[in-house]
Amino acid sequence: MLTLQKLIAELSAFWESEGCLIEQPYDGPVGAGTMHPATFLKVLGPDPWRCAYVQPSRRPADGRYGQNPFRLAKHLQLQVVLKPSPDDVQEVYLRSLERLGISAAEHDIRFEEDNWESPTLGAWGVGWQVVMDGMEITQFTYFQQAGGIDLSPVSAEITYGLERIAMFLNKVDSIYDVLWSESVRYGQLRKLEEEELSRYYFEVADAGFAALLLDRWEAEAKSALEAGLVIPAYEATLACSHQFNVLDARGAVSATDRVGLIRRVRDLACACARAWVSSRAGIPVLATEPEPATAV
Amino acid sequence: MKRDDFLFEIRTEEIPAATLAGARRDLARGIGEALEQEGVAAESVESYGTPRRLVVWARGIPERQSDSESEVLGPPASAAFGGDGKPTRAAEGFARAQKVDVSELEVVDSARGRTVAVRRRVPGRDAIDVLAKAVPRVIGELTFPKTMRWGTGERSFVRPVRGLLALFGARVVPMEILGARSADWTMGHRVLSDGTLTVTGPADYFQKLRGAYVEPDSEARRSAILDSARRLAAQVGGRIDADADLAAVLADLVEWPGLVRGSFDPAFLDLPEEITTTAMRVHQKFLPVRGTSGLLPHFIAVMDNADDRHGFIGKGNEWVLNARLADARFFFQEDSREPLAARLPELERLSFQDRLGSYAAKTIRLEELAAAIATAVGRADVVGQARTAARLSKADLVTRMVREFTDLQGVMGGLYARAEGLPEPVWKAISDQYRPQGQGDDPPREDVGAVLSLADRFDTLAGIFRLGLVPTGSKDPYGLRRAAAGAVAIALSRRWRVDWSGLLEKAISLYPADLPGLSPPVALAELEKFFAERLRNALERAGSSYDEISAVVNVGSWDFADAAERAAALTEARRRLDFRGLVLAFKRIRNILGAEDPGQPSARFYREDAERALAADFLQAKALLEELVPARRYSEALETIASISPSLDRFFVEVLVNCPDGDLKRNRQALLGAIRKEFTRIADFSEIVVEK
Repeated sequence: MLTLQKLIAELSAFWESEGCLIEQPYDGPVGAGTMHPATFLKVLGPDPWRCAYVQPSRRPADGRYGQNPFRLAKHLQLQVVLKPSPDDVQEVYLRSLERLGISAAEHDIRFEEDNWESPTLGAWGVGWQVVMDGMEITQFTYFQQAGGIDLSPVSAEITYGLERIAMFLNKVDSIYDVLWSESVRYGQLRKLEEEELSRYYFEVADAGFAALLLDRWEAEAKSALEAGLVIPAYEATLACSHQFNVLDARGAVSATDRVGLIRRVRDLACACARAWVSSRAGIPVLATEPEPATAV
Repeated sequence: MKRDDFLFEIRTEEIPAATLAGARRDLARGIGEALEQEGVAAESVESYGTPRRLVVWARGIPERQSDSESEVLGPPASAAFGGDGKPTRAAEGFARAQKVDVSELEVVDSARGRTVAVRRRVPGRDAIDVLAKAVPRVIGELTFPKTMRWGTGERSFVRPVRGLLALFGARVVPMEILGARSADWTMGHRVLSDGTLTVTGPADYFQKLRGAYVEPDSEARRSAILDSARRLAAQVGGRIDADADLAAVLADLVEWPGLVRGSFDPAFLDLPEEITTTAMRVHQKFLPVRGTSGLLPHFIAVMDNADDRHGFIGKGNEWVLNARLADARFFFQEDSREPLAARLPELERLSFQDRLGSYAAKTIRLEELAAAIATAVGRADVVGQARTAARLSKADLVTRMVREFTDLQGVMGGLYARAEGLPEPVWKAISDQYRPQGQGDDPPREDVGAVLSLADRFDTLAGIFRLGLVPTGSKDPYGLRRAAAGAVAIALSRRWRVDWSGLLEKAISLYPADLPGLSPPVALAELEKFFAERLRNALERAGSSYDEISAVVNVGSWDFADAAERAAALTEARRRLDFRGLVLAFKRIRNILGAEDPGQPSARFYREDAERALAADFLQAKALLEELVPARRYSEALETIASISPSLDRFFVEVLVNCPDGDLKRNRQALLGAIRKEFTRIADFSEIVVEK
């Protein structure tokens, strides 16, 4: 039986063998792997980029007190970014499934239209959800725009829903029954966290504090941008986005507020994207390799 | 001339099922037209397609265009040849520029008189060259609802292009489209076949593709799906619901349809059937299986695979469906804990439209509007029920079930309302509020539902039109055409005779006065045009012709049911009565009077027998019409109107309308004006098309 941690190891090894850099998760709360600077900033501009990483994705409104077998306030995505998108990207993806013991010929694997959009990031893409034997296991997107900027070259973004795939491979009816390791189930590790996060986001979180944080992080993003610090500005933008999600889960976003709040975050994301593109013009995506230290 | 077939295939990553049929059709039409324009028309053009390829087979294309002749005019003959008949320098210069010898110049008659010219025979181009140029252009002109870029980002199409096959006869037609170069090979099914297939022509292509697990014909895939599904259902003593739409979508999601039957936990049969079938049909794209007394715990799934040798696919699908149904049962139980009314405050936070506020605000408007509509259609007795249904109508939007299963909006509200013990007309109204969903869908079952559905449609139309977001071309993001067409269908099905303009005016007035966009009167005028167009479509489907519809709609379009009755009577009357004379007479009246109303005629100024006779017949008919029209006895009314035709004919033969005597002239015009006014309460006959 493939455990969740083995699943992550296999996919990481596969994409490493495909020339991907293995990045580490973003160290703050984000709603999706796309928000990681290793995707959002790196898909901008002309340089090639290939990376893969696991990203815990925190969506307070999706919390279900650990009661729903499918929904989590915090789930795991394995995110792959391939820039430019290779011609055989679908075949490579299918080979990654083979690595997990899923042979396409023995299953029903379909690419069904599903376009992706993130209003808060000013980003959208065109693609499919990959459906295996009736279950969505991956979101597959050709990134068209990020931060309001048309992307060229175009990146392929492959987002594996790790819990879903693990449930499928383990043939269990609840996320909490997934084997994290040979001896520990997902629920043993995460159920308490889900219960507490749900209670916190739905009942306890101070909406006034979240609103204040959103305002302050917005100001921080702006002052960082003014100082020409794009990465901190973008990190502050992600903090705003998270506070928006907290407010939303708390039921503190009215219909009229929603549009305005989303626009504020999007404006920041777009400003970061523009600043990144102009500050990085002509500079390769990776800093020039330093001279190796020579032994005296 | 020898003819040959053209076979073309463009291979892509998975094209969305919803756009495949349109792309197939546009491609065949585009290539057919291009060949015709280029003078190498095909005998027939057929197109095929799967999610991963679009295919055209154009049969019997002539090998070459016919030769043609071109003529280039030069200087006038008088300037080109001297008195001695020898070419001048002008002629020599022209010949040089045209790269011909002076002796080849001819003299022709042109618009400029006698002119020197060079005539050349232009040999026809080979069809293969025509195809090489025309096909990439046709592909470039295809339109899709959404296109994308990939790779280097320079090219755009519905999905990335991965390969091209183009053969004229057995020869490769050289071309490059969106980064792909034409060749004489194709690929089979992605996972069921291996390697490339070299192709020598159409028959070979289709044979090899099918051998490689690709059925290129969408219709063949669809009927294979339905046949196998029926067989698999019968094996467990059931049948599948007739669901042509789902079968068509499934056919365009796969290259090689295989079917597998699965089962789910019979305990889920306790759930309302709407939930179970939605989970199957909408979420999983399964065909439900029905027995003699309701659903059976089985489903049929379509896979893009020849078989399910290890049983993985069937088991996987069963597992997913059971999980979904467990989820649905959980939502249903959770939702049932609270009455719908308790959810209303949550609607404050659910946006109806950016500038039109929340669903809570919409609910308040709907209550008012539903009450007004119930009264206007003569059901003042159900105003209370209409208000209750309107108030609770949107509460299900914030239930867990509808958040997860959005297709069940309305239906879930109805189920919860029924469980709460609300009166039947109320829960049925909530359930049916989005009916009809489109052409062919049933309208609401009862009056309260019809009232609520109308209120919802009017409210949405009024709000969006007030913002000036009138649908144009193919852009109709709020589905307003369908909303209005549904409103017309409801009014027609219930035969409610109401001038709906007053209720739309009310719908507009329920929004804040300071919305940006169109002023209320302009919005209403736009709505009148918009609804008239939907009404025309409905009348056309009911069998009236274009001119009859114009004749009826010109007289008034706001009472849909009345317009439909007038149209039906007119269409029927034209089959049995001769309107030709009447129509010509009305066209003549329009020519004489224009849009003017010359007032009432007076018996004092009648001079000729023919005008007295017409006036007498008219008065008699008028008296009859005053009885028939308000009673909507339109067939008899049309007979009465037609009966005046002979005296009108006689009038126009014997009487000069625009005579020198001013009083007589005015009176004759007034008589015609009065006839037109009285007789155009059913239809504007001058719109009817007759042979001269």
